[in-house]
Amino acid sequence: MDNLAIECRQLTKRYDEQSVVNQVNLNVKREHIYGLLGRNGAGKTTIMKMILGLTAPTSGEVLIFGMPLQRNEKRLYPRIGALIEKPGFYPNLTGTENLEIFAKLRGTTQSDAVRKALDVVGLPYQDRKIFGQYSMGMKQRLGIANAILHDPELLILDEPTNGLDPIGIAEMRAFIHNMSAQFGKTILISSHILSEITLLADDIGILHNGILLEENTIAELEKKNRKYIQLEVSDAAKAVLTLEQDFSIKDYSVQDLHLLHVYDTSLDMGKINQALIQQGITIISAQRCNDTLEDYFRKVTGGEGIA
Amino acid sequence: MKMRDLLWAERRKLRRSNILLIAFFAVIMVAIIVYAQGQFSYYGKRYVEVNEWYMTAALSLGSLYVLPAIIALTGTYIIQLEDQSDTMKSLAIVPVSLPRMIRAKWIVTAVITLALYLILFLITLTTEAILHFPLLTPSGILSFVKQYIIQGLSLFLAVSPIIALAAKMRKGYWLAFIFAEGYSFAALFVGMQPTISAVYPITAAFHVSGYYKTTPTQMLLSICSLAICGTLTVAIFHQLKQES
Repeated sequence: MDNLAIECRQLTKRYDEQSVVNQVNLNVKREHIYGLLGRNGAGKTTIMKMILGLTAPTSGEVLIFGMPLQRNEKRLYPRIGALIEKPGFYPNLTGTENLEIFAKLRGTTQSDAVRKALDVVGLPYQDRKIFGQYSMGMKQRLGIANAILHDPELLILDEPTNGLDPIGIAEMRAFIHNMSAQFGKTILISSHILSEITLLADDIGILHNGILLEENTIAELEKKNRKYIQLEVSDAAKAVLTLEQDFSIKDYSVQDLHLLHVYDTSLDMGKINQALIQQGITIISAQRCNDTLEDYFRKVTGGEGIA
Repeated sequence: MKMRDLLWAERRKLRRSNILLIAFFAVIMVAIIVYAQGQFSYYGKRYVEVNEWYMTAALSLGSLYVLPAIIALTGTYIIQLEDQSDTMKSLAIVPVSLPRMIRAKWIVTAVITLALYLILFLITLTTEAILHFPLLTPSGILSFVKQYIIQGLSLFLAVSPIIALAAKMRKGYWLAFIFAEGYSFAALFVGMQPTISAVYPITAAFHVSGYYKTTPTQMLLSICSLAICGTLTVAIFHQLKQES
């Protein structure tokens, strides 16, 4: 599809008999932030490596901007910036010197590309500190600077907040958000931290044991997991009519013949009970529910949950 | 991607690198140790007092005991730089062609080898000039320059398969250093038999450089031996490319 930056079809990776990634269909829309959420070892990095052609899939295919990477490397790589696992740079060189090497090899024509990239991530230009002396946070920033050095359309960032302090995490979040909102970059980001993804992503993929359990927009997921009143009644259809007439309720969902969810939680439970009883509807149970996204993820991952 | 850019990058990666200091230090030590050895007397005359002894001895002792291991160490270090610094994944998506990058690294190692030999030559020439300036002749100097350059390049070819093997096996560069030391030390014994000395790559380098008096057949054997080393290296690098 034209609006997809990345399309993975039945992507599978096996090492010997062990399946690390299993028939994953992942779709990253252009100019969206896609959060790939999963516990450590879920297969996030392997998927990113397969997308980037750093490891070959056992089966399935990856299309980037509608093209397979194989035989299109020279056309596609300049459009991609990536940070995979921990950032690797030459430890005896400064950040600027490291980026100058990558800029030269990429054939970056902009003379101030290195300075600009360092500015964006808040690292000093022509600093004398060598990479070997960098803190984890500085290394991560330099990794991001390298990913954006050539102004790519697509950014693939594997756990970019790893090793950052809380302020660094907030800055990184703002940076990623800015890259998408201001510059229209498509960003695929992985994390094992739920709050990180929910604060950043437009779309989310939940990966567990190499299987993509769910792919949806954050808005849809939040809708699924908002606060509601759960009513278990003798006749759900009749109860809905009563609620619509007496309370003008429009935001509800009927789960089955006896169960319905009412999303307006400001309603008085006592009055609801009274109205339903007056209509001859038996109330089996009535309770306020407050499922968080974390509860939801715990549910879809079979109870193991995500941090 | 242009080879010129790759060479520029390889040179840049070696900034502040300890490996170059180690190599430079090794050359200085060769010069000092050979000079110290030259203080021994033979029939009442110190070796170092003999015209051109210092230049000749530094070339042979350096090439037998120290420089092959240093070349192997430097070359393996340069080739494994990406493995050590975990930069290959970043380079792969530039994309940088691994075979071309290895070729650039090979060239850089050859240039460093040449530089080490030229440094050794300059030290020995300066010392000779101080000791016996009136005896130095332009033709003599030129002959030594030629010998040092050819010896350096030939020795580089002789050691190349070790560099390539270490890169392929992804073993530490110190292992290549130890292996190359054994390989060059064995030349002391191999060198006693004329035919084998022409074939054994380390001693073949001495034949090709003109350090040993050599017959045309021996010269041909030595050139073939070094060419095989070069071919072997290319073959190993080619295999490395396919594996990657």
